[in-house]
Amino acid sequence: MTEIELTVFVVDDDHDIRTALSRSLRKRGYQVESHDCAESFLQGYDGRRAGCLVLDYGMPGMTGLELQAHLAGMDCPLAVIFITGHGGVPESVQAIKQGAIDFLEKPFRQAVLLERIEAGFDLIRQKLQTCRKERQAAALFDRLTAREREIVDRMVENPSAISSKEIGARLGISPRTVDHHRARILEKLQMKSVAEVIAHARHQRG
Amino acid sequence: MRFSLGAVLACCLAGLQFMAILAVVFSSYLTSERALITHAHDLLRDVGTNAIEHSKGFLSPARVAAELSARLAQNRIIASDDPVLLERLLFQQLQLAPQFAGLYFGDEQGNFVMVMRDARGPAEFQTKIVSHRDGFRQTQLIWRDYDFQLVRSVFDPLDEYDPRTRPWYESARDRLTTIWTDPYIFFTSRNPGITLGSPVMGEQDQLLGVVGVDIEISSLSDFLSLLKIGQHGRAAIIHRNGDVIAHPRQELLRREDENGNLQFVNIRNFGDPIARAAFSHLLANGTMQVGQEQYSRFRHGGEDYVAAILPVISDMLPWTIAVYAPERDFTEPIKRNRAINVWIAALVSLVTAVLGLTLANYIHKPVRAFAVRSSLIAQGEVDPAQPLPRTYKELEKANDNLVQQIVARREAEREYGLTFDMTSRGMAQTEPETGRFIRANSRFCQITGYDADEILRMRLADLCHPDDPNPFPADGTIPDDFAANRELRCVRKDGTAFRASVNAITIRDHAGKRLHAVLTMDDITHIREQEEQISELSRELSHLARGNTMGEMASGLAHELNQPLTAIAQNADSALVTLEHPRRDEAELRELLTEIESQALRAGDIIRALRAFIRKDEGRDTVFDIAELIEQTCHLVRAEATEAGVAVIRRLDPLPPVKANRVQIAQVLVNLLRNAIEAIASISRNERTVVIRGRCEGGQIHICVEDTGPGVPENVKLFSQFETTKPEGMGLGLSICRSIIQANGGRLWHEKGVSPGACFCFTVNQDRETADDAARHLAAGPQPLDEPRT
Repeated sequence: MTEIELTVFVVDDDHDIRTALSRSLRKRGYQVESHDCAESFLQGYDGRRAGCLVLDYGMPGMTGLELQAHLAGMDCPLAVIFITGHGGVPESVQAIKQGAIDFLEKPFRQAVLLERIEAGFDLIRQKLQTCRKERQAAALFDRLTAREREIVDRMVENPSAISSKEIGARLGISPRTVDHHRARILEKLQMKSVAEVIAHARHQRG
Repeated sequence: MRFSLGAVLACCLAGLQFMAILAVVFSSYLTSERALITHAHDLLRDVGTNAIEHSKGFLSPARVAAELSARLAQNRIIASDDPVLLERLLFQQLQLAPQFAGLYFGDEQGNFVMVMRDARGPAEFQTKIVSHRDGFRQTQLIWRDYDFQLVRSVFDPLDEYDPRTRPWYESARDRLTTIWTDPYIFFTSRNPGITLGSPVMGEQDQLLGVVGVDIEISSLSDFLSLLKIGQHGRAAIIHRNGDVIAHPRQELLRREDENGNLQFVNIRNFGDPIARAAFSHLLANGTMQVGQEQYSRFRHGGEDYVAAILPVISDMLPWTIAVYAPERDFTEPIKRNRAINVWIAALVSLVTAVLGLTLANYIHKPVRAFAVRSSLIAQGEVDPAQPLPRTYKELEKANDNLVQQIVARREAEREYGLTFDMTSRGMAQTEPETGRFIRANSRFCQITGYDADEILRMRLADLCHPDDPNPFPADGTIPDDFAANRELRCVRKDGTAFRASVNAITIRDHAGKRLHAVLTMDDITHIREQEEQISELSRELSHLARGNTMGEMASGLAHELNQPLTAIAQNADSALVTLEHPRRDEAELRELLTEIESQALRAGDIIRALRAFIRKDEGRDTVFDIAELIEQTCHLVRAEATEAGVAVIRRLDPLPPVKANRVQIAQVLVNLLRNAIEAIASISRNERTVVIRGRCEGGQIHICVEDTGPGVPENVKLFSQFETTKPEGMGLGLSICRSIIQANGGRLWHEKGVSPGACFCFTVNQDRETADDAARHLAAGPQPLDEPRT
């Protein structure tokens, strides 16, 4: 697995915080990119660059929450950490619900921020890895014939009736043929059990 | 000083009379004097003219006789060589004119025939005949009587008389015309006279001889003595060379010189001193300088004289007529008259004065009685309602007015006394010189705790609290500029202090003299306590409101404080990392620490603004910089502005210091700014600004807060309590703001139509002392202006 390049995006309207935070993170070896508002960030972000977004909660123009929601719609590889000067419980709940890693109240301990950034990076790495696996699985499913896909569909539809006999009766083919297809499916999908196949198929469609 | 009417009338009457008469007397005296002097001049001139005419008339027969004789000789009617015939002719001529002293004829051969009067000889006439015959000279003297009868005849062998050497002959021969000699004293008669010479010409125009006539002019003096010129006036005839040739006193005319010859006396040495004084100054360079008639007045021997001198009669007779007379000859009567008139005037004045005094006394009597009665009424000894004794109509009218006035005044005094005593305020009068009370009503005594007798021994200054600065001058009087409604802390008799509001008015008479001062005093201790309580309550209310505002702003302010703290934490972290690095970058460390410092200061600014805002209101006005206060206030609302996406812009002129309650003004500013920010936050509009404007105008600072919000709806009544457009508002903000600004001596209002949103303005008073200083500086010279703050 090749190392992915991860960036810390700092978006804060306060100049002092922006420069101090960026400098501190750079000193600790992070690649940092800072913006003074959400709009400026969106202008420079292509949706594919991965990393952690350290986002000020209250900003003029587009607020932190709005930006978070916007990014969630784009399904981009960014972990969001909110920093705020006036943390309130309702705001933090909303942020966490939308998938933020944490909601840090200014001023915060640097160690906590770093830990969260690392956690975010881990999450992103995992996410990217999962994606890659799913993309691989999808490629495996693509190798199935029409009949084999039909059999997988039946298994997903009714996981309680996955015996060859039952599937054959429903498709109007012999259980033996079903057995044959089943072996081919497991082989093609490089899986060991029907249960694993169902889980993957479900994941792909879910 | 006052005089009685009678004396004034008498003096005036007598004085006026006296002056009028004197004026008439002196005027007529002066006029008469002038007329008389003019008359004197005329008289003098007439005398002169008369004398001239007389002189001419006196001398003209001589000329006729001489010229006749000369013509006869010339035409050989008489032969000069026939002395007998010639003598007879001359004799006849001499008889014709009494003024002739002698007639004679001399010829070129030295022959001479003369006939003359002889007063001392044996007969009236004497003839002298000098003849030359055959080289032999013979002189015969013949005396005849009036009828030409020979009385005596003698020869004089010793005689050496030669007519050709005589002045009259030489003069006629030289000029070949009739000549007059200068006057001289005749040797024989010792009388003054002149000689006329007339040449006798031959057929070839050669001179044959000269006819001469001697004329005695002493009769001119006789004539002059006959002239009447005033009583003492005299006339004289003065020859051109200054010799006096005729004068009433003939003995003054002659004098003997050192050779025994008789000569005329010159005017300079003349025996009549008055004539000398009058005319000697006219003699200059040996000639009398008289071009025309001259009149003069002069003073001699203590007496005034008038004099006149007339120009010379003719070239042949170069004589001037001089006349003089004492002035008193003409003016004496009127001078005497004047003195009499003055005495008459004095007498008339005296009589008039006595009459005037009597009359004045008669007129004045009722007036005096009236005056006495008025003074008795004034002293209250007579009732004005009593009937008036018989007097003048005018005085009766005056009495009616007076009585009315007195009644009205007594009524007014009674009313004033009642008002003074019964009014609910303390009232007192003070003496202007000492400041001592001279009257005090019962309320005044009640307020101060002293009884009426005690009060009258005190001054207002004695009532003042000993701890307070004494507002009165050292003598305890009440100054004219004592302010109305002045508040004083005073002490009652029992030693308790109270607050008094005192008015003092100085009452003056028409001349501006101070009569007394009227004081009114109110005990305002209770009012002041209540005001203090209200003020305290009001301060507490606004303090609560501030606390409330602070509560609302707390999270925003926390955010605002957290920003620099966060930056500090970050920079500190960077510094730590830098320190751990084996190669420490000192420059970077310094930069980090510098930033930490400025961020800490930024946090400090916010805390200072916060403290200034929540400070306990002492209820005191202070002098402060309003621009600084606005800046601090902006710190406080920055968080809310940022959250609402609102930019707060300051556009302030250079503002002078203001004097007000700083905390309260801050409260108003915060309130207005938050209102503006909230108004903009409620809408979505691109232009989101709040502008604070400040300018100085007429001793007041105008501060306006404009926003780009939706503005104030028409139906909302601003500034009334519990009216609000905000769902969570109580509607107290603007109401409290307005109360605060009014308590600080300013106004707060909503300015319509200035900005797209709302615009609220208020005023604060400029600090008077710095304003005065600035005015002085401005007068001293132009000052550089500060850059305007934004």
